[in-house]
Amino acid sequence: MFVPSITNPVGDFVREMVPRLAEYLPASIQSDTLNSIVAFLVNALICVIAVCAVNIGSAPILIYMERKVCAHVQCRLGPMRLGWHGTIQTIADVLKMLFKEVYAPSGADKLMFYLAPLIVLIAPFIVCALIPFGRDLVVADVSMGIPLIIAVNGFGVLGILLGGWSSNNKYSLLGALRSGAQMISYEISFTMILLFVVMISGSTNLMSITLGQEGTISDWWIFKIPVLGIIAFILFFISSTAEMNRAPFDIAEAEQELTGGYHTEYNGTPFAMFYLAEYIALVTNSALATTCFLGGFLPPCIGVAFVDNYLNMVPGVVWFFAKVFFMIWCYMMVRWTFVRPRVDQLMDFEWKFLLPVNLVLLIAGAAYIVVCG
Amino acid sequence: MFPNLNLPGLQLPDLPLAFPMGGMDIAFYVVAAVMLFTAICTVAVKNILQSAVFLIFSFVATAILYLLLHAEFIALAQVMVYVGGVVIFVVFTILLTSHLGEDAFATKIPRVFAAFALSIAFVLVMVKCILPTPELASGAVSSPENYSGLEPIAMRLLGYGPDGFIIPFEVVSILLLMTLICAITVARKSKDEVEKEKAVQQ
Repeated sequence: MFVPSITNPVGDFVREMVPRLAEYLPASIQSDTLNSIVAFLVNALICVIAVCAVNIGSAPILIYMERKVCAHVQCRLGPMRLGWHGTIQTIADVLKMLFKEVYAPSGADKLMFYLAPLIVLIAPFIVCALIPFGRDLVVADVSMGIPLIIAVNGFGVLGILLGGWSSNNKYSLLGALRSGAQMISYEISFTMILLFVVMISGSTNLMSITLGQEGTISDWWIFKIPVLGIIAFILFFISSTAEMNRAPFDIAEAEQELTGGYHTEYNGTPFAMFYLAEYIALVTNSALATTCFLGGFLPPCIGVAFVDNYLNMVPGVVWFFAKVFFMIWCYMMVRWTFVRPRVDQLMDFEWKFLLPVNLVLLIAGAAYIVVCG
Repeated sequence: MFPNLNLPGLQLPDLPLAFPMGGMDIAFYVVAAVMLFTAICTVAVKNILQSAVFLIFSFVATAILYLLLHAEFIALAQVMVYVGGVVIFVVFTILLTSHLGEDAFATKIPRVFAAFALSIAFVLVMVKCILPTPELASGAVSSPENYSGLEPIAMRLLGYGPDGFIIPFEVVSILLLMTLICAITVARKSKDEVEKEKAVQQ
């Protein structure tokens, strides 16, 4: 029978309650096997709902946050009218978008046109299921977490390419091809940084990568390896920004040049799904950075017992989301600070700078492990 | 997967219970059906891009079959390699085909007939080869737990011992390096072209 490797209070509660409730059923259909199957299915359903809640619930918050950060960077106030400091504004916008009419442009490939937003959403949802949010809060504690993340990342490019092509619009096609080239290139450095993390932590399981950073703040992978950790973190930051198609690497959308890029022709719910995928990718990439470099759900202990006791009292989920939102804030500040590079500059940067630096970093990391580890 | 599903009071007909009730069996049939459907769509659909997408889903279903056999790394490699590969294929399809999206292909009847005959002959040969296997009746034999996990595979790929594959692994890496260098050489501009471009810019 399936036994989850990480026990969790919620799962234990369900496993305890199902046999109790089953006693009310007629005795002829009671059996332990049936109870464990039902408990397993209920737990699976809870997992699915949790992943959806984190993903879909974070999108309105992030949109609000992006508006506020953007506004304050530009010395504005942002949305202020609806609700306290404009908090209901995003909900109103989401409702407006969901109730719009959904239609495809004439000459569009209908099947691909409606399939593309769904494909884009595959990768963020799968990655979200792998991330440990707390000591006993992870949906899928698989041994090959990092290879799975690398494998499903390809779906994002596919969805964007299909969406751009099937819209039957030349701007969409241009945006899609640009983003295809960009994401395929930056995927290499993204993968290499994850390989670096796998190499220094000696595991591909995200939970054991996190637990390998237990101790004080200097045990986090960003500080544990003297200079290389910080370099790797910065490289991860750059390549994940490009991987997400966020400004300053948003040449796929580039609204000044391409009127919105691959999702020019989308409206209503399909457009909302592209938007959602973008923001979930922001959450999952920040969560990955947190897990791989910033100690995941571990508190930032400083080695003084008095302070650490108080820090350890805060549950891991709170630390995790605090770090994630700090990372998201960094991504947003970068977005509203830097200007967009040209397409050829972007490609030069990846192939002539990031990739060689990554290779050197991998070799230096291996040398560090051999010499000091 | 659910052994001894004895439900007292529920009179089941005299069937081999382990076969239709096993969760793995149900999963296998569902995945195999999806795989066959997408594979047929891949060849039946007129549009090249649509068939590429169906091909991807067929590959993903194959990866799930590998997962059911406990071959996790093979499954992930399947998704990693083929999804990336098909994405590149999609890019080149968009770049190189001019009449994409129009129903340009109309195959003639003799060709369809020949294709059918060939595939049926292939299926017959496959069935003839596979049927004598004794394990077929008792279901697929999955590898033991963690036999094909990441670590055992890595240890064997880079092992020097009698069951190590270090030399083939290194030879493959040389082959890949050669293709990379060849691609760069083919795509590189010659010196004349660079000078011409400079002259134009000035």
